[in-house]
Amino acid sequence: MSGTRVEVGTEIPPLELDVDPEKMKVMAALLADPNPIHFDTRALAALGMDQRPVNQGPLNMGYLQTMLARWAGGRDRLLTFRVRFQGNVLAGDRVRASGTVTGVAQTDRGRVATCDISLEVLGGSTALTGTAEVLIDEETS
Amino acid sequence: MSDPGPYDDRVGREFPGGSYTLEPWRAWLVADTLLDDPTDDTPHPVLAWMGGVAGMGMTWDDLFAWFDASADDGPMFGEHSTTLHQPLEAGATYVVSGRIVSVQRKVGKRAGAFDIVGYELDLHHGGDLVARCYNSLVFPRRDAA
Repeated sequence: MSGTRVEVGTEIPPLELDVDPEKMKVMAALLADPNPIHFDTRALAALGMDQRPVNQGPLNMGYLQTMLARWAGGRDRLLTFRVRFQGNVLAGDRVRASGTVTGVAQTDRGRVATCDISLEVLGGSTALTGTAEVLIDEETS
Repeated sequence: MSDPGPYDDRVGREFPGGSYTLEPWRAWLVADTLLDDPTDDTPHPVLAWMGGVAGMGMTWDDLFAWFDASADDGPMFGEHSTTLHQPLEAGATYVVSGRIVSVQRKVGKRAGAFDIVGYELDLHHGGDLVARCYNSLVFPRRDAA
């Protein structure tokens, strides 16, 4: 977040990344989530689903939070985060986290930007939409 | 179109709760799975929800069973929100509590009947509320009228 003043309409630098099935396996272990749709391609086939594993919701949320934290200047600057799950992200997808400032206000915690945020599968559909509030600098340098 | 849900008496039911220690190694791995910086001293915010779930004192199957459902019914995430009153700290042990906050029966033209169950998870540290997460689960009710 450098070089421009944050105001309504400011676009947050987007974050794009490729969804790696190996990371899903680690996340399944961290979440103690036994659902095979996140790691077992044979189970997916048996269910009649696309054989690409389905990314976990916390990973999809996390991409958006990473985008917000990088823009705002640190993970400690995220105040609120609200999303609606609208679609799946699959292994091998390229996703794009993006956001736009919809409001700026002075609060007892400092200057806060309210943002509309979304996670989209490139060439596909929207996976998450929502809003967030982050602390921002008074004036960016 | 919406009607009162048959599980209204679950609203207010408390989770057993427990504690969650945000181990630095866990913070490292979570950041790495997100392709984010694992060496950042501040744990990734998604750990608020992960810590709440890990410390809620019951399994997903336990929670589903409160609503006469199982993983085989295909429950889905609906909405999520996290409010961070303080940043998370690596190494901190959080007291976790949680509760059911809403249940709503809905009927859609295409989806048929489904219940939307909302629950909250709180992380406390040193007596302070550090984070509150809200999540809704959607339970398909294919056999409901």
